[in-house]
Amino acid sequence: MVLCHKSTNQYDYSFPIVSYSWLNRYPNPYAKHVISVDTLDSSVDEHGKLHITKLIRKSGSIPSWAKPFLSITDSWIVEKAVIDPATQTMETYTRNLDHTGVIRIEEFNNYFFDDKDEKTYVKSSVKFTSAFRQYYGFSIKDKIENWSHSKFTENIKKSRQGLLLVMQNFQTRRLKNNV
Amino acid sequence: MGNIMSTSFAPECTEAKKKYDDCFNSWYTDKFLAGKSMQNECTELWYDYKACVDAALVKRGMVKMVDEARKDAPFETGGIPQDNSDATNEK
Repeated sequence: MVLCHKSTNQYDYSFPIVSYSWLNRYPNPYAKHVISVDTLDSSVDEHGKLHITKLIRKSGSIPSWAKPFLSITDSWIVEKAVIDPATQTMETYTRNLDHTGVIRIEEFNNYFFDDKDEKTYVKSSVKFTSAFRQYYGFSIKDKIENWSHSKFTENIKKSRQGLLLVMQNFQTRRLKNNV
Repeated sequence: MGNIMSTSFAPECTEAKKKYDDCFNSWYTDKFLAGKSMQNECTELWYDYKACVDAALVKRGMVKMVDEARKDAPFETGGIPQDNSDATNEK
């Protein structure tokens, strides 16, 4: 079973602020489930693009109907980002590392700066892949479908609020330090 | 809220991580994005931090899981998930 959800958002901030804030978006009050963030790899390629791989640990939040099947306490997430300062674009990819036999959640984001209206846009898509159907029948599939959709909507909102807060703080600090 | 930073999954690496993150963030905003430097200038701090993380991954038996994820090439499709879905919801 595969499900995809897509959305587009915009931020009234420049690309440097958005990309910096994205890289430093944890901790924030909207992401209390994030326990730790580590950088695993970081390098600049021959085209001047920065490649970063991060390892994130999140405390588990699974829906109550899934609890009989799962005993998830927390999960590991890997995150990749490619940042091109020349074109002011950033691509990101996030997926869970463990529990992939139950559900695999992949998130893609495409950030780009539009100098006409001086805003940074992001196109997001999330893909849920689950093997549940084979094992537990269609009612579970429906539940995952509904859950994934509401989870996606909720997560997009929370991550947007968190990122906005980090951007606001970053800009305040920059103005204070007059950088 | 000041410049709060996240911790490392391995408590013993958090100090090295914070030093590296500080250095990286300055390099990223002041030099990399400004086109002044293409090479990460935090090499020494990076090696300290990376050595700590690598040892912690070994200690926790996570090397295989992490190495598999490193091999992912998600951007080859242009950052767009392959369209093999049985339900797509445009939002």
